[in-house]
Amino acid sequence: MFLELRDIKKAYGEKENRTDVLKGISLQAEKGEFLVLLGSSGSGKSTLLNIIGGIDRPDSGEVMIQNEKLSQMNEKQLTRYRRKHLGYIFQLYNLIPNLTVRENIEVGAWLSSDPLDTDTLLDVLGLTEHQDKIPSQLSGGQQQRTAIGRAIIKNPDILLCDEPTGALDYRTSKEILKLIETVNQKYGSTVIMVTHNDAIRLMADKIIRLRDGMIRDITMNDQKVPAEKLEW
Amino acid sequence: MRNPLLKRFARELRSDFGKYATIFILLTLSISFVSGFLVADNSMIMTYNESFEKYNVEDGHFRVRNALNKGQIRRIEKQGITLFENYYKDTPFDNSTTIRIFAERTDVNLVCLMNGSFPEKTDEIAIDRMFADNNGIRTGDTLVSMGKTWHVSGLVALSDYSTMFENNNDMMFDSVRFGTAIVTAEAFDLLPEASLRYCYAWKYHQPPADADAEHDLSEELMGHINSVSPMEEYVPRYMNHAIMFTGDDMGSDKVMMEFLLYIIIVIVAFVFRITIRDTVVKEASVIGSLRAAGYTKSELIRHYMAMPVAVTLFSAAVGNVLGYTWMKKICADLYYDSYSLPTYVTRYNPEAFVKTTLVPVMIMAAVTYFSLQTVMRLPVIRFLRNDLSSRKNRKAVRLPHGMPFVQRFHLRILLQNKGNYLILALGIFFANVLLMFGMALPQSLTDYENSIKDNMLCRYQYLLQLPASAADDTHRLESMMNMMMYAQKMETDNPDAEKFTAYALKTYDVPNCREEEIMFYGIIDSSRYIHQELQADDFFVSSAMADKYMIREGDTFSFKESYGDKTYTFTVTGIYPYEGAVAVFMDQQAMNRIFDLGENTFSGYFSNSEITDIDEACISTVIDEESLTKVSRQLMVSFGGMMYMVDGFSVIIFIVLIYILSKIIIERNTQSISMIKILGCSDREVRTLYMHLTSIVTVFLMAATIPAVYYVLLWIIRIMLRTMMSGWMPLDISFKTMAGMAALGWISYGAVALSESRKIRKIPMEEALKNVE
Repeated sequence: MFLELRDIKKAYGEKENRTDVLKGISLQAEKGEFLVLLGSSGSGKSTLLNIIGGIDRPDSGEVMIQNEKLSQMNEKQLTRYRRKHLGYIFQLYNLIPNLTVRENIEVGAWLSSDPLDTDTLLDVLGLTEHQDKIPSQLSGGQQQRTAIGRAIIKNPDILLCDEPTGALDYRTSKEILKLIETVNQKYGSTVIMVTHNDAIRLMADKIIRLRDGMIRDITMNDQKVPAEKLEW
Repeated sequence: MRNPLLKRFARELRSDFGKYATIFILLTLSISFVSGFLVADNSMIMTYNESFEKYNVEDGHFRVRNALNKGQIRRIEKQGITLFENYYKDTPFDNSTTIRIFAERTDVNLVCLMNGSFPEKTDEIAIDRMFADNNGIRTGDTLVSMGKTWHVSGLVALSDYSTMFENNNDMMFDSVRFGTAIVTAEAFDLLPEASLRYCYAWKYHQPPADADAEHDLSEELMGHINSVSPMEEYVPRYMNHAIMFTGDDMGSDKVMMEFLLYIIIVIVAFVFRITIRDTVVKEASVIGSLRAAGYTKSELIRHYMAMPVAVTLFSAAVGNVLGYTWMKKICADLYYDSYSLPTYVTRYNPEAFVKTTLVPVMIMAAVTYFSLQTVMRLPVIRFLRNDLSSRKNRKAVRLPHGMPFVQRFHLRILLQNKGNYLILALGIFFANVLLMFGMALPQSLTDYENSIKDNMLCRYQYLLQLPASAADDTHRLESMMNMMMYAQKMETDNPDAEKFTAYALKTYDVPNCREEEIMFYGIIDSSRYIHQELQADDFFVSSAMADKYMIREGDTFSFKESYGDKTYTFTVTGIYPYEGAVAVFMDQQAMNRIFDLGENTFSGYFSNSEITDIDEACISTVIDEESLTKVSRQLMVSFGGMMYMVDGFSVIIFIVLIYILSKIIIERNTQSISMIKILGCSDREVRTLYMHLTSIVTVFLMAATIPAVYYVLLWIIRIMLRTMMSGWMPLDISFKTMAGMAALGWISYGAVALSESRKIRKIPMEEALKNVE
């Protein structure tokens, strides 16, 4: 198994302020699989994604990637793990304001020993003509595409997307989803996407519904719909 | 592939040019000044040390009443020394100065020509370079003495007069009124015979191994010379202030200069700490994303450290270049203002490089590293959530509801920027210390000079001495006759004269104080000049001494013999109001008894008129207005130029700190300012909300720190004077000086405020709508 989560539990706060965010999550993902984590606000989706990404630690349970346990990794090893295996896309683009589009993408490439070709990627992302602009000169969609470029240029094994279309309009959202779909298919990255947009589940291989910190159900989707044809 | 983050540096520099430029200027100026000072100091000291050999400086000299004949010279030289004639004539000049004129020298105490040429004709004179500077004399000028006109052929430095001590017993030198010069042998002979002094310099054939051996040898030599010919003065080199004072004094300012530099570096490091922290807060989500993508903590720490360290390094490089070229000259001139040193050669100083380059860079790196390390230790998730507060459950400070809106707003800004305001307070305090030092010292010197003139014990104090020839252990009878003869010559008919006993002891066992010779006055009953009846067990110290050593009535104070091991401890019974000198007043009879001087012994006169009927050979020193004000006059000459530099420097510190910190405050609130503009606030209202607080705080701090600065400066100057120099000068800072300081600070702030209000005006309303994700 490429990725395995075993009984992940996580709580915030203490005593009367304690909130159990994750109450025992277990799931598995194969290499190249497209997973969608669905759930309403506060269901624990983002916390789960952060735990998979090694930027938050569970109170108990285990995350295993290619049989390596994240709990046994120290801070340095976790950084190395993220550097080697993960690409992260956030709802907020978090681009570096005084670097151009191209340079922002190269920030990701610099971390990899075998990055994708920047020009090809700019072309795939539709950013070639904007490559010398700085983030404040771009639309929201263009900024998110740049953020995606930064995440995927290092050819990650896993692409973690936290509400990547949350701040975008319908048309731009579809563009971004198409792009993520391409990354999944063309580069074979495992994609785990957190969303509260129910329509997006149709493009996934596996749909995981969370409610109140627990998995409500896991559905295998045999009839994937291309991002192009999604409607909401 | 090069790290793309590196490309940010040039852009960061461009976008925040003002901040980096001002910090660069401040650091470069400080570093160049200290570097220049250290280089000049080191080069000067090396030149000074080498001058002993290069100019064949004497091992000592003595003066006799009549010229020695060949036989006498041979007898003296048998003691393992070579004698050289070093005759001089003290000659008064029409510009109220006295020049000690020597004939040209060829063997010992050689002369360094610094400008022009050595005298060749009988009307040519080469005068001391520093004396010339202090009196505005240049090569080619003419000087008049007793009707004779002299043409200044050149400016020189005499290797045995690096400090202008007219007499070796003088408390302070005076390079304004007293100078040295050389003329041709022929011209020297033409000068009036009356002022001729038979001075002989000596060099040991076999230099003594160490200081103790030199001391023993010179003691032995003194006895021998005296047996050959009666002496009027005997000064081995190690006791010669004119030669040794320079070496002792140089280098003592070094510690202060370095301290100054490091304070500035630390202030700048903390300014950087604030700006870095601000940048990290602003870029929290970017940092979170980079960390999530796999950037390591140390990669990001290095990234954010790079600019401050690079700016410091670049400032250090430029500062050192300026230090070695421009500042070195300025600093060397400061020494040339005080000492008559030969032309120096610039020496590369590795210590200066370490102290002005490595140490500042390391301080900057350490401060920025630890502040970044603290913030970067936070979990990645906190960066992604823009939650970098160190406290959990952060709550807003509750403010009373009845408080007017603007006041509440100001308080919120104050709380938001408390770190900035703290640094501002420290910076203003430090700049005020420098400013007060720069502005108050010249004022204090002038005040001190005036107060001395108004509070002299009398117009003339004559300190008497038996000529060295009077005491002769080998011919006791002759010696007794001599003493009786001189005792006769010491009597005066001047009705103003009042006898006193003078005795000098050194301070003993006073912690953190330079050892100093204290004058003890033994006063007769019902003195006309000391208005205090002194009993046998009375021990009064002058107010200057009480102030310097923080002595109160009832305290005990210890002294030791200048040339012996005997120590004395006295209990202070009173403080006599006298600022002119660090001195002690006792009953004459009691004093004569305590120091075993003989019942009717006296060794000086107080007088309000000049005493003219005493043999000059018996007068060791005359303390008059001119000699008492030598200290302040010399300090003004030595430090005058430096004071203005210090003033300018403080103003730069004011401007840089206020500029950077108010800029940070405005930048921190750019979005809010833009937002309230959208809501309809005018530029003036925005200024009221965001700038008035800084104005109030700055103006308040500038005035409020002055009293604290006053006490800190008193403490610093007290330590400086106690450890570095003999004598005492009370520091009196007038209200006018303080008001001037505050005004200068406010003007500096005004200039900054003007530029910042322009910046506020330029903040566009779109700012609030942009990047709100």
